[in-house]
Amino acid sequence: MDNFLSIKISAKDENVKFIRSMVASFVSNLNPNVDVLLDIKTAISEAVTNCIVHGYKHQQDKYIYIEVLIEGRLVKFKIQDYGIGIDNVDKALEPFYSTEGDLRSGMGFTLMSSFMDKLDVISKPNDGTTVYMEKYFVEDENA
Amino acid sequence: MDIKFYDNDNDLISEFYGEIDESNAYLMKSKLDSVLNGKYKSIILDFKNLDFMDSTGIGVLLGRYKKAQDNNISLYIKNPSNHLDFILKTCGIYTIIQKI
Repeated sequence: MDNFLSIKISAKDENVKFIRSMVASFVSNLNPNVDVLLDIKTAISEAVTNCIVHGYKHQQDKYIYIEVLIEGRLVKFKIQDYGIGIDNVDKALEPFYSTEGDLRSGMGFTLMSSFMDKLDVISKPNDGTTVYMEKYFVEDENA
Repeated sequence: MDIKFYDNDNDLISEFYGEIDESNAYLMKSKLDSVLNGKYKSIILDFKNLDFMDSTGIGVLLGRYKKAQDNNISLYIKNPSNHLDFILKTCGIYTIIQKI
């Protein structure tokens, strides 16, 4: 039975923890182990932080749109902003590449792709960025 | 998020608590900067009680490493969870900050 979550939330850094916790709670019906939940939390945290920091440049009156679709044991995530977009997505996906200075590791997309089975980034300058991620939840024998 | 500091002779032990992300990375930065003044030549970052850190925290670590280098201070990492250990490895942190 499919299960679907959709939220619109202010692009504020104080919401990042709430968003990753909420998404982790939503997928916990699949009885993932603690490590898988941390994978999800980290990937979501990275995607949402990108919206706030890069997409909206910390303009707090903007919104982030998050969708989670559970199809059996496959979970699909969509994180979307209507911010400034990315000029060169291939470049942005490279490890250690960052457009910002101090406080930025340039590893957000690398971690998303490490923790998820699939990552797609669709972006258009001045139009926004949508990140699609998928993770297959293996049946936990110990659950 | 909180960092508690313990003086251990010439070392300073800094114990991390809670979760680190965009909302408190600046706090992490300023707390660490307050002890990167040269008083301690060796600072241990103990992650035993840290529940979560994303790449924003990694960015802060990279910046603090540079500042520590400038002030001739050695940084060390202790007790990361398996999950954080993977993130630190992936981000190349152990090539600049030793795990003890």
